[in-house]
Amino acid sequence: MIKIEKRNDVSRSIYFLTPVLAIFLTLFGGGIIFYILGFNPIEALKFFFITPISDLYGLSELLVKATPLCLIAIGLSFCFKSNNWNIGAEGQLIFGGIVGGGVALLFYNHDGFYVLPIIILSGAIGGMLFAMIPAILKTYFNTNEILVSLMLVYVAKLLLDYLVVGPWSNPEGFNFPETRQFSKTARMPILFDGLRIHAGIFITLINVFLSWLILYKTYLGFQIKVSGLSLKTAKYAGYKGKTMIIIVFMISGACAGLAGVGEITGPIGQLHRNISPDYGFTAIIVAFLGRLNPVGIIFASLIVALTYLGAETAQIFLQVPKYTGQVFQGMILFFLLGSDYLLFFKIKFLRLKKNEL
Amino acid sequence: MNTKLKVSEISKIYPGCIANDKVSLEFISGKIYALLGENGAGKSTLVKILSGVVKPDQGEVFLNNESIKLNSPLDAKKNNIGMVFQHFNLFETLSVFENLSIDSDKKDEDLRILVNDILKKYNFKIDLDIPVLNLSAGQKQKVEIIRCLIRNPKVLIMDEPTSVLTEQETDDLFISLKQFSKDGILIIYITHKLKEVLSLCDEVAVMRKGKVVSVSNTIDEKIESLANKMVGESLNTIKKKINNFKNSEEILKISNLNFKSDDPYETNLNDLNLSLKKGECLGIAGISGNGQNELFQILSGEIITEGTSIMFRNKEISKLNPRERREYLMAFSPEDRISQAAVPELKIFENVALNNFKSSNFFEKGLVNEKKIKEHAKKILSNFSVNTDNVELKSQFLSGGNLQKLIIGRELITSPELLVCFNPTWGLDVGAINYIHETLIKINEQGKSSILISTDNDELLKLSDRICVIYKGKLSKIIDADSVTAEKLGILMGGGSID
Repeated sequence: MIKIEKRNDVSRSIYFLTPVLAIFLTLFGGGIIFYILGFNPIEALKFFFITPISDLYGLSELLVKATPLCLIAIGLSFCFKSNNWNIGAEGQLIFGGIVGGGVALLFYNHDGFYVLPIIILSGAIGGMLFAMIPAILKTYFNTNEILVSLMLVYVAKLLLDYLVVGPWSNPEGFNFPETRQFSKTARMPILFDGLRIHAGIFITLINVFLSWLILYKTYLGFQIKVSGLSLKTAKYAGYKGKTMIIIVFMISGACAGLAGVGEITGPIGQLHRNISPDYGFTAIIVAFLGRLNPVGIIFASLIVALTYLGAETAQIFLQVPKYTGQVFQGMILFFLLGSDYLLFFKIKFLRLKKNEL
Repeated sequence: MNTKLKVSEISKIYPGCIANDKVSLEFISGKIYALLGENGAGKSTLVKILSGVVKPDQGEVFLNNESIKLNSPLDAKKNNIGMVFQHFNLFETLSVFENLSIDSDKKDEDLRILVNDILKKYNFKIDLDIPVLNLSAGQKQKVEIIRCLIRNPKVLIMDEPTSVLTEQETDDLFISLKQFSKDGILIIYITHKLKEVLSLCDEVAVMRKGKVVSVSNTIDEKIESLANKMVGESLNTIKKKINNFKNSEEILKISNLNFKSDDPYETNLNDLNLSLKKGECLGIAGISGNGQNELFQILSGEIITEGTSIMFRNKEISKLNPRERREYLMAFSPEDRISQAAVPELKIFENVALNNFKSSNFFEKGLVNEKKIKEHAKKILSNFSVNTDNVELKSQFLSGGNLQKLIIGRELITSPELLVCFNPTWGLDVGAINYIHETLIKINEQGKSSILISTDNDELLKLSDRICVIYKGKLSKIIDADSVTAEKLGILMGGGSID
């Protein structure tokens, strides 16, 4: 007979090591998939994980992809730590992009150092307001935030579609579904000539530090922690549960909105239909792979960013579809959840005595 | 043929508590048996053993004089023991018939014929093809019962079946149960409702603190006699010196407390009024599930009710949350010390910080002042003799007694004017119980007041100055502790009235 039992105390170091184990298992699983597809697994994995970052341009691309992933995941950690399941970061990113992009278009051909900060701020506010919809519906009407936040992603996507095809489309753009290119003052400064890495990375790093400060050193962080562990206790301690739900959604939405505005003012430079390759969804994996811990999330975002790059290289060199990247992301989450299960529960094989059969 | 079920010398020990202590009982079909006891008396453990969910440490179960092993719920089914739990195990979105066919190995056509026969025989009116979520609580329970009947059970165990039923549904259930019994099914009925025992059952076994304290025919019992057996009737314990508070200052006055819950598992409260003097301990007795939990949460501010007036030290506090009430010098020790009063995964000092006062400066300008919290926690550990001085220890590693001392200490170290506690010594060992009792007496001596909601009558009689009983969400008349007798309490706990 098999019996599953909860483990009482899980050591902290193993808790942070299991994500590493999950990554190795993913590599192993990926190797098997490549083998079945008829490739030499070692070679294929090299194309996937080593080649993309073997030069300076590749490293810069890695940071370009990790910047939004890390930022969104940091925001999500506030929600997840307090048992609020915001899975609509993609929508909050897009809405932040829409608001920021709208402001950028408003300042078209406008000079002034204040243009970019205003755009960034409006993007953050956009994401924040969009995230408040599921939060307010949850607190006042008892709706399920998972459904509401997810469905709002499609609302944001369709709104963006409408805007870039219709009212905001480039007047000189031959009816392509995109807006004008933003002017120079509305773009994130590039850090090195010839590379795409931009100043958005500083926004991400500042946010990582602020989040660490809030989560571990403030009363708000303490309340988030207690509510995440036991809602009953939070209620007994007298924490304002509703206010807190709204605050964590606001933080999370603002981070996603910042990521969106970072993308459109950084590498993209305009609004079009696909401003995000599902960063908002992938960031959920990043948040859990990083154990909802700010430092862990930095590392996790780099690894997951690599799957984006690897998929592109693999498409070029191995002629496999770039969706392989999503297969890898899926595997990471699968193995992480699998090892977590074994981490928190132990499986006992009980031998039955003869007379009990 | 008669079915005979016998449990012999069953013992089950959990860390820190003996759930079943050499329990021996015999049941024969044709009669309806009641298993009566307070929460924590051990009846659920016994039922879990009979349904294969829990394995006993010692003892045996005999069915028709043959020893049977119940290692899993499947074994219970094989031995034709059926069980209807208090909380339903049904898939809400599936139809009634789908729910029944899930764990049946019969063909759908055969099953439908069988179920229709059962429906006809017992006059159940349930549409088999509508989703379960459209059924009332009583109908859901019938689905659970049908699920058992499909397997031709010899034994049917009902665990607190009436807690979510209306009175009409309860009457219907009783008619069905009597019919099952006539058809030769042995019925074991678990409850803490005394009236139900008298109106339904033939024999009653009373459990207290893991032991069977009496087995008798219900004809020979009255509500009061059963109540006394359930909660213990030893009145000769040491009592606190009872004072007269007629001329003391009034510290708390509650008027028109009403609470109506949407949750069928909660109890509504009806028009509660009470007042408390400075230095006094008011005991609130009652059999659990009569509204104690809801009353505690209303006193602590976890539930805010409309139209209630709570005056504490001449201030209206009914709209304040627990943290704000603490600022007015109230303190609360809930019944669930393990997952409500403290968080097991948090360290001791973090659990101390749950009780946050403006003046204690745990969080200056929103920042955590860990040093201050730790100092404060150390003081609690030494003042309330908790058996550790390591504030970094996770509280899950504290024993029940030490955890309770930590919680009481956290609540009392700020010298509150009123402490509300709910079953403060539940599940503790004698040493810890004595310590908590001494502490509670001491605060009254220092002129602080307390409200003690408890299901332990010995405790109430030892500590209270005045006692009242809560029954079905209503408070009885408040009586002075020195004129309380076991008989009076028994009558009140069973829903009767005195004078």
